[in-house]
Amino acid sequence: MDKYEKLEKVGEGTYGKVYKAKEKATGQLVALKKTRLEMDEEGVPPTALREVSLLQMLSQSLYVVRLLCVEHVDKASKTASSTAGCSKPLLYLVFEYLDTDLKKFIDSHRKGPNPRPLPPSLVQNFLFQLCKGVAHCHSHGVLHRDLKPQNLLLDQHKGILKIADLGLGRAFTVPLKSYTHEIVTLWYRAPEVLLGSTHYSTGVDMWSVGCIFAEMVRRQALFPGDSEFQQLLHIFRLLGTPTEEQWPGVTSLRDWHVYPRWEAQNLSRAVPSLGSDGVDLLSKMLKYNPAERISAKVALDHPYFDSLDKSQF
Amino acid sequence: MEFDIENPLANSNDLQSDAVPSLFLAESEHTPSENYLQSLKARDYDISVRREVISLISKFCCNLDPVLSYLAVNYLDRFLSSQGMLQPKSWVLRLVALTCISLAAKMTKTEFSITDIQGDGGIIFDKQTIQRMEVLILGALKWRMRSITPFSFIPFFICLFKLKDPPLMQALKARATEIIFKSQSDVKLLEFKPSIIAVSALLSTSHELLPLHYADFRKALSNCSFVNKEYMLQCYNVVQDITMDGYEYTYDIVSSWDTPVNVLDHHFLSSESENYTNGTTHAIVATSPIQERDIKRRKINDYGNNHTVQLSQSQRC
Repeated sequence: MDKYEKLEKVGEGTYGKVYKAKEKATGQLVALKKTRLEMDEEGVPPTALREVSLLQMLSQSLYVVRLLCVEHVDKASKTASSTAGCSKPLLYLVFEYLDTDLKKFIDSHRKGPNPRPLPPSLVQNFLFQLCKGVAHCHSHGVLHRDLKPQNLLLDQHKGILKIADLGLGRAFTVPLKSYTHEIVTLWYRAPEVLLGSTHYSTGVDMWSVGCIFAEMVRRQALFPGDSEFQQLLHIFRLLGTPTEEQWPGVTSLRDWHVYPRWEAQNLSRAVPSLGSDGVDLLSKMLKYNPAERISAKVALDHPYFDSLDKSQF
Repeated sequence: MEFDIENPLANSNDLQSDAVPSLFLAESEHTPSENYLQSLKARDYDISVRREVISLISKFCCNLDPVLSYLAVNYLDRFLSSQGMLQPKSWVLRLVALTCISLAAKMTKTEFSITDIQGDGGIIFDKQTIQRMEVLILGALKWRMRSITPFSFIPFFICLFKLKDPPLMQALKARATEIIFKSQSDVKLLEFKPSIIAVSALLSTSHELLPLHYADFRKALSNCSFVNKEYMLQCYNVVQDITMDGYEYTYDIVSSWDTPVNVLDHHFLSSESENYTNGTTHAIVATSPIQERDIKRRKINDYGNNHTVQLSQSQRC
């Protein structure tokens, strides 16, 4: 790791701390993501091996943050105090560094000296790139599971949006709480996850994409819940309390309770500046029944994107 | 998250999807560098070190899925290409061979015990040593363990043939697979990209099993925008040489027993590695016995002058 000079901690990824760093030899900025690697009896765990190598492959898409390399550090070699056989090897995933994310970008349009809406064509453009990246991950059998504006990095010069913090499914811990027990945001979490479904699929990411879409238009979160229960109420108040007809099996989910019966509101009122094609696409991303939710691949062909010049992607 | 050597990108879509271009785009990241080949060519000694590690790998993997040893040798070549040739100490070669197998077994989820495998009377390495070596190899390979190999391209190229007969496609694939396994140890193939090796193996297979379609197939392959025709032909010639060596080997043994030609065919087919017996059976169905025999006889005659006997990996086991 001597190759890199750590500059500052830039965040807590779902799986560990993230540092901004500079590669000494080239001056290139990188993001270092520190992950503990639980060595088992048989050496490098097979799940870690398979997942990191998959990440490596996924990151070849333009719309996924590029994994530049993987550095392995044996902590025991540095701290002499640790007893033999008790080493805690670390794995640093070295990613390309981008200095803005969608959250900061939206914030800068809401607050600050010059508040203004995001240009509709930019929202369309970013959403298209997001669907491209999500379609790419899904086609390789990988769910992100924690899509949110903070995880969407922006290359402002090139106008490119890239998905970061891709879920490493099994080899690393489940993202309920981050390493510092900072509460992971619930705002983008799909109702089936909030209701305790364990067999969720690609629909969970599409729900998040819908929430992010609405947030770009509104410049504020669509469902800003501060507990799992409040999160569900936020959703139900806008979309109506789900029924068995709409979503077969919903009342048998583990965490289902009896909720007030709200009627669905007109979705376009939540996103007043969005045209009818956009509202239609949004409503398809926010379908209660995960099986009916639009897939990323199908979303790319939605009429909302008809006015976009797709040849640039 | 599984790793399947035929589908390293774990792509769930069909062959028409975006996955195919990305395979071609990424394949060079999974092959040894050009310098590696140059250094092997320049020094016979390096070739012999490589050969020795490969034969260790084949020995250790003898009763296991051939995919395992194939992947292990891919890791080996890329490791040597990045780190330089190994010291020719027997324990070093053994450690590297074992570690490449260990990594390949983890990727393919093969049931495999590094302890059991070391019961052959050689030096026994403890887990820590293997673990350290694993990390070293992973670093050199940049954790790119989902190797893109010729196998990744076979389904795509077979589709180009537009065959309607599934057993026939199976037969082609089985024989091409066999050729790829067999030719891996040959240094001459290191020059070519995995996709070109796949094309050549299929071409060689169709020449052998479906000679009447050979011209069409060759045209279909060379019309594919991902295929460089010139490399395809060069590689095809190398692959042909390698496959001929196999016949010749069989021929030498059988002819010394003074057996009739149709028994020669029979012997050849039954000597195929066990895993591909099914595929080979289809192959017999696919071509008439007489046709098949004629092709073989012709090959044997063509190559009768050269008497070097080269053992393929599977035969050595």
